Amino acid sequence: MASNNVPLGRRMVLGAGGVLAAGLTRAAFAQGGPQARVAPITIVINQSPWLDSFRRSVEQYERETDAKVDLDVQPFAGSLEKQRNSVRASRGTADLLVMNSGWFAEMYFGGFVEPIHAIEPGFRLDPEVYTLGDTIYFDADTRTMTPRGRLMALPIAPIVPLTYYRADLYREAGIEGAPLTFAQLEANARRLHRPPRMVGIVQRGARGPHTVAFDFYPYLYGHGGSIFRNQAENDYTVTLNAAEGRTALDYYIRLARECGHPRTAALDQAEVIQNVVTGRAAHMLTVVAAWSQMDDRDRSAVVDKIEFAPTPALPGRPTAPGLGHFVGGVARNIPDDRKRATVQFLAWFQTKDAQIALARHGGMPVHAAAYRDPIAEDRRYRWMKPLAESLRHAVNIYQFPEASEVIAVLELGLNRAIAGEITSVVALNDMARQIHTVMAARGYRTGQAEPLR
Amino acid sequence: MRALRREVVLQVLLLLCGLVVVLPFLWVVAAGFRTQISLLMGDFWFTPSLAAFQEVLFSKTSAFLHNARNSVIIGLASTAVSLVAATLGAWSLHRMRWPRWWVHLLLLWALVLQMIPPVALAGGWFVMARGVGLDNTLIGLILAHATLNLPMALWMMGVFVRDVPQDLVEAARLDGASTPVLLWRVVLPLVAPGFAAAGVLCFVFSWNEFAVALNLSMRDTATVPVAIAKFAQDFEIRYVQMAAAASLSAIPALLLLLVAQRWIVKGLTLGAVK
Amino acid sequence: MWRWATLSPALVLLLALGLLPVLNLVVLGFFDVRWADGRASWSFVGTRHYAALAGDALFGASIANTMLFALGAVAGQMLLGFALALLCSKVTRGRVFWRALFILPVLMPGIVIGAMWKLLLNPDFGAIGQLFELVGLQPVDWLGNARIALFSVVLVDVWHWTPFCFLLFLAGLESLPRDVYEAATVDGADAWQELWHITLPLMWPTIVVTFVFRLVLAFKVFDEVYLLTGGGPGTATEVVSFTIYQRFFTEDRAGYGAAMAVAVIFLIFLMLAAAAAARRRVQAA
Repeated sequence: MASNNVPLGRRMVLGAGGVLAAGLTRAAFAQGGPQARVAPITIVINQSPWLDSFRRSVEQYERETDAKVDLDVQPFAGSLEKQRNSVRASRGTADLLVMNSGWFAEMYFGGFVEPIHAIEPGFRLDPEVYTLGDTIYFDADTRTMTPRGRLMALPIAPIVPLTYYRADLYREAGIEGAPLTFAQLEANARRLHRPPRMVGIVQRGARGPHTVAFDFYPYLYGHGGSIFRNQAENDYTVTLNAAEGRTALDYYIRLARECGHPRTAALDQAEVIQNVVTGRAAHMLTVVAAWSQMDDRDRSAVVDKIEFAPTPALPGRPTAPGLGHFVGGVARNIPDDRKRATVQFLAWFQTKDAQIALARHGGMPVHAAAYRDPIAEDRRYRWMKPLAESLRHAVNIYQFPEASEVIAVLELGLNRAIAGEITSVVALNDMARQIHTVMAARGYRTGQAEPLR
Repeated sequence: MRALRREVVLQVLLLLCGLVVVLPFLWVVAAGFRTQISLLMGDFWFTPSLAAFQEVLFSKTSAFLHNARNSVIIGLASTAVSLVAATLGAWSLHRMRWPRWWVHLLLLWALVLQMIPPVALAGGWFVMARGVGLDNTLIGLILAHATLNLPMALWMMGVFVRDVPQDLVEAARLDGASTPVLLWRVVLPLVAPGFAAAGVLCFVFSWNEFAVALNLSMRDTATVPVAIAKFAQDFEIRYVQMAAAASLSAIPALLLLLVAQRWIVKGLTLGAVK
Repeated sequence: MWRWATLSPALVLLLALGLLPVLNLVVLGFFDVRWADGRASWSFVGTRHYAALAGDALFGASIANTMLFALGAVAGQMLLGFALALLCSKVTRGRVFWRALFILPVLMPGIVIGAMWKLLLNPDFGAIGQLFELVGLQPVDWLGNARIALFSVVLVDVWHWTPFCFLLFLAGLESLPRDVYEAATVDGADAWQELWHITLPLMWPTIVVTFVFRLVLAFKVFDEVYLLTGGGPGTATEVVSFTIYQRFFTEDRAGYGAAMAVAVIFLIFLMLAAAAAARRRVQAA
């Protein structure tokens, strides 16, 4: 069951033949000369806290290479819409699709993304680029995402949850070290719980498009639980309602009731973060992308007081944050010159230099070397080391395109359990049964565990 | 004396209602001048800052002026299309000899169309727009908004058109006026108040429409509400920027209201009473 | 010939842009659309989508919520709007000013209203909560408590649209004939009698028109809910537009979403037919 959780963070590609992609970029420009400009490309991307850093990297690319890149910025909800509209047309307008973990499976399975080597056979993935649960690969025959498949995309933003905690309160209370285990997190949250002015932990328990379920993954996988037995092997036996799942959900609910926010079942991500930046909560598990708010005097009352740690796990187990990342793939229904120009951008973007520059722009690098750069020692970037540790163990929760139906089941069931409408056992059995129905109806190899009692 | 006291009581009551309406509105305008954290902390006093307005208007990730231009074009053009189609259509349905069932059927369909959630139509519109090469153009959105507002305009213009005195029409006919001349010289001046009222409503509805605009627009054709929605991000609702954008977006409608208030009220008065 | 020429622009819009997408939905509702290899494959599923609708808890909740929302919000707006219009029609000074002031909320985009009230109503940071605290009341979890969330959404909609009803009512009141009132005053009628026996009957057509107009718009509510609650908590504020949007776009179940939309359009037909039948009966009686 734990095999779902293979930590394949960054894969080493062996052999000295690995030509650095930077070389490819330069070679391409050397051939073309200054007159033959590369085709302008359009990137569809959603508005986000890290957009500004990405935009600055794009501008840097334009300056360095004379290429032309257009950013089509959409609201988060509109980005998938726009990408669908574009890839389903006979000729697409979007060249680089910046896809969230919620929908890249749909794009891979639907045949909308051109494998990178089909465009540039000589492309070499920099061995130190994180593969983020191997979600940049896809094998159309076995319908799995493993390195045996073809390279479909490059990571754009490596987003996973981290534990945010109030280091100043830790010092005042004499608590040492980061909360790395569930027992530590619970004990510390209880110590700092002073309602109504301060809650021990603030959790995101609202039902939404991907809200409470995403908040629950680090708890579930950190306790050794999982939703399916082994997606990489196409084994979709539902394991949600195993003993580990129950321990995880009971723990989550206990935290919410005894040292959490009184309105946990109604909080979405923005509200969770609002609680922390206004200094009303001692802990939260939230995606790393929110870091930039914490130290901004215009947006935070806890400047310099927040520290970061990987999400907790049981003693002896690695952290297991669920991936909520973005990858960039090349659309299939665009002219060849634009495909090549898009790959050129990706090749540049994955280089160590570009990634360090990205970090300096305030972005989250996808290249391991950037996390060894002196910049990672900078107090402003104190989230980098915990993030690097997390990325090695990050879990890709869904590898199939119908995930939104499974998520809908989880959102309702978890929300009701947290609100106290049903018990954790009823919730888990119920959700497992419904997920099994969804997977069976879609023809996946699936099964069910003994119901919990 | 009694009349004066009554007036004072009424004015005070109105003032109280006015506060309920205006305070949230002013609060939004003020929020545009704050920082996010001062807004979240609920501080009463704050140092005003123009940062949010600057970001909305001039930052590279924001294209607010372009969005506003799109909204103005779409609003004006779709209003024009709706009004022309509605006035001519209303004249035809109410003043020319059609079978009754046909008139009823069309008006019923217009009413049903008005009640269908626009999101249900957006998918179909997108496919149609792409089929004729109008996707990612302003024309696609103009036609969509014109269709959305047509039933309302048709209904309002119907009220006015039915009221044009028959003897005036016959007198014009005797003078040898053709249908276009009749419509232009006789009917239009008589229905002008309704024209203005329906026009303002169409424009305001188009200016504020979000669901269809989100689905049918790309970056170059995005409207103001779509731009405002971008500030509602997954991790943070950027209230301050949103408030600044919202304040700016209210300006055209506000101007319109101030300039055309007399017309709107006159049009609605006649329209509502009949 | 002019008959057709004058009707054609409206006809083109009503049929080409109104009827065609609906027919498209009707056809789509009998199919399942899946994408593979960059192409769509349609498979006929008969009435399976419609059968599934019956068991879709979200759909049932959204129909019920939308009805409650529309009736509650429109009733609130009409009552308040009427009272406000009466007040305004009785003052001798500043009528133009008040009219301009009260129309402000109508000018704001629905999504802004949603975002703004989400913050105002937030029990931790919101201005409404602070106001409650100031007068010694417990802060209320307006949007997070499933029992009152729909009510809160209705409140916001009332704030948004009462001015619209007000404007129509005021216009109606100002055009009422003066002499009837003067006669009533001579007869010694008090204010309530005047309202009940003179104003309301005279205003009846305006009231009906306003009611229909607002009900039609309330049925389509989307923008406010989109940011205010997103349909939650649980299914407390799930409304029809939102469910269709989720099934059709977010979950990309075009066939099922289309079937849902068709079912909603059919329900609207039924409602209108029932209303027309009721009206005929009243007229006959």
